[in-house]
Amino acid sequence: MDKEKWEPKIVAFVCNWCTYTGADLAGTSRMKYPANAKMIRVMCSGSIDPVFIIKAFERGADGVLVSGCHPNDCHYNAGNFHARRRWDFFHELLDFIGIEKERLQFSWISASEGKKFADVIAKVTKDIKTLGPFTAYKKMNSEFTAVFPEIQEVVKETIIKEKETV
Amino acid sequence: MEELREYAKELLEKKEVAAVIGYTQVSENRTKPIIITDPADASKLVFNEYCLNNLSVYLTKARINAMCRTKDKIMKLAICAKPCDVHSIVALIQENQVHRNDIVIISFNCHGAVKDFGYEFSGENLASKCITCETHKPLYFDKIFGEEKETPKASDAALARIEELESMTHEERFEYFNNEFDKCIKCYACRAVCPLCYCQRCITDKAIPRWIESSSHQRGNFSWNIVRAFHLSARCTGCGECDRACPMDIPLSLINRRMAMEAKKSFSYVSGRSLETPTLVGSFNEKDSDELFM
Amino acid sequence: MNFKMDEKIISKEDLLKICQDVIAKGHTLLTPGMNEYFPVKDISQINLNSSALPAKTSYKSYVFPRSEPVLYYKRSKDDVQLIDVNVDGKNIIILGAKPCDTNSISIMRHLFNWDYSDEFFNLREKHFIIIGLMCSHYDEYCFCTSVGSSPVSDKGSDIFLIPLDENNFALRIITEKGKEFIEPYAEYLKPGDETRSKQVTENVKLPEVVFDSKEVYEWLGENFESPKWEGIGNLCLSCAQCAFVCPVCHCFDIVDEDYSYSEGRRMKNWDGCQFGNFTLHASGHNPRDIQSKRYRQRVNHKFRYYVDKFGEILCTGCGRCSRGCPVSIDIKEIVSNCKESV
Repeated sequence: MDKEKWEPKIVAFVCNWCTYTGADLAGTSRMKYPANAKMIRVMCSGSIDPVFIIKAFERGADGVLVSGCHPNDCHYNAGNFHARRRWDFFHELLDFIGIEKERLQFSWISASEGKKFADVIAKVTKDIKTLGPFTAYKKMNSEFTAVFPEIQEVVKETIIKEKETV
Repeated sequence: MEELREYAKELLEKKEVAAVIGYTQVSENRTKPIIITDPADASKLVFNEYCLNNLSVYLTKARINAMCRTKDKIMKLAICAKPCDVHSIVALIQENQVHRNDIVIISFNCHGAVKDFGYEFSGENLASKCITCETHKPLYFDKIFGEEKETPKASDAALARIEELESMTHEERFEYFNNEFDKCIKCYACRAVCPLCYCQRCITDKAIPRWIESSSHQRGNFSWNIVRAFHLSARCTGCGECDRACPMDIPLSLINRRMAMEAKKSFSYVSGRSLETPTLVGSFNEKDSDELFM
Repeated sequence: MNFKMDEKIISKEDLLKICQDVIAKGHTLLTPGMNEYFPVKDISQINLNSSALPAKTSYKSYVFPRSEPVLYYKRSKDDVQLIDVNVDGKNIIILGAKPCDTNSISIMRHLFNWDYSDEFFNLREKHFIIIGLMCSHYDEYCFCTSVGSSPVSDKGSDIFLIPLDENNFALRIITEKGKEFIEPYAEYLKPGDETRSKQVTENVKLPEVVFDSKEVYEWLGENFESPKWEGIGNLCLSCAQCAFVCPVCHCFDIVDEDYSYSEGRRMKNWDGCQFGNFTLHASGHNPRDIQSKRYRQRVNHKFRYYVDKFGEILCTGCGRCSRGCPVSIDIKEIVSNCKESV
């Protein structure tokens, strides 16, 4: 695959109250940021189960971003505090299993930080681009791609289409 | 040994406990769990270096707890626990799965156990958890038996392995773990023997949506083993039962130990050591590090 | 299939030469190690040791994989396209299989050809050549003699080896398939002498017969509600280690697995009767809701239901389930003590 042309697939799990609203602000302020991140809105960063992230990797994500309210700003008072401890362990675990730390990133973005949202997405995209596609995990899907060679093609096409629309 | 049997008999005769969960000898260097309800059977109890099972796994089983409730009386449950098994019991109490007042902990002064059945007890065949063990005397107990003895010395091979793995690149580690997990046949023996895997319904049993694929191909195995390790991180007390139960010899407790090291390093927390403190992942501190977050 | 028994002598060296040739031809050669039957890459890995315990797992997974796709599907707007799976019919030669393992496929065959014939199983089985090896060692968990087999039984083998001395084996050709396999290598075979191999097999120490399978059959029929089951159910932790290491347990589960919104596959996975949701109905009802009922099912299936249906005991007596059980539940002990009161 041509590394220059390759665009990473990033899944961003964002909390409804802060980061998603922050993303809204980035949008309404017409800020420019890479279109690689697919946003999934959840109610709280504390409600994201690590299996969501494993599922994202299974389905071909090259990187994952998890983002929520700043500490003490949680809509549910302590959701992000609980999440913070959990993510610390999950991050260490993935690192030990052999998944680079940059593949899973975290941030606190409030509703008023449209600029920060754009910056974070840009940074994550840049990081993943330097790491390259997550082939190690994708290899586990090789049986599928052997039966459905067109899957790869479809993925490529959508990336090209997305690029054109940006 | 006789004292232990006498005590168990007394508990059962006085109807203080509904059952005694303990060990019984099968052959020269093999024991198995036994649940005793008849005082006459108390003579079957043993305790020695070959008592490997962590019996606290039975404390959360509904069918065992049902024994304690008769029409006119609610009785306690007595359990034989090595000092390391007491950690598991403490963790269960911390997580509100067991009440301290509902159980009678019969513990022992311990000087190590063998790594698996079929081995002679010696430094060479010492279980890996015993090498680094600091609690030869139980932290909590109602009755203690056995005399204090020196634990045989052995080198900490597991720690050396962790350090070796840490020095590898991410690709090498990924490949290593992927190959290890690939052996998994999804018999879920690791889940069954773990005292802290007490969920009535495991996430792998959920079919809609199916988060963890039930197939035991590489992808399904990888997901399952990550989730198992994550659910136990900062909770695992290091009893090593998963390692012993695994028919495919996947180094499960290696990952658990690495996570316990993280808990100790970042939060100075060791699981299952104190009844007074809340569990690490069940609580939070506003002052926790924000290093991870942009 | 009954072929007139034909006995030859082969030296270990020549046997390894055959193995070398088999590998060179691109066939898979499996041989038992400590933990499993593994594909041999180099003949130095072959250890024809008749006094080893059975490997932790049998070669069941090569004929009935723990997880295999049975079809692929692709969904379009108003159509579903099904894509068949091609099972590769690669020749698999199993060298040094224990008599308790050689039996397994012929026992499972009944089930996979009962109400429909399982193409996957049959195709794989057709390409199997089993070279059994006499067994001269048993431990406290072995009970092959109690289920009608024995350490010197050649049942299920295509070719059976009996170690005569350090470097020579008596080689019995049991089936047509075995004859076909060995024919190209006829130069290595020396004429055999049955008295010598008989001497060896007669001197093998046999595990004691601990139960009579007919009596167990009767007992199980009469004691469906025995309080014994409860005691075992209290100890059993509901994992499926016993079923998954068993050479003849064959239960499976069918699940659909998607890859993307429109593509996916249907998988056939091993399943174990000790799992709580093995019999869970969609309604929420579970006929085997407690562990004692599940363990009862396991024993009944092995020693009664399978006998009723196919006339064979669903057990080879290898003792793997008991050897590996995390809580040391010993099926031999349970079955042989069935008549004792609780």
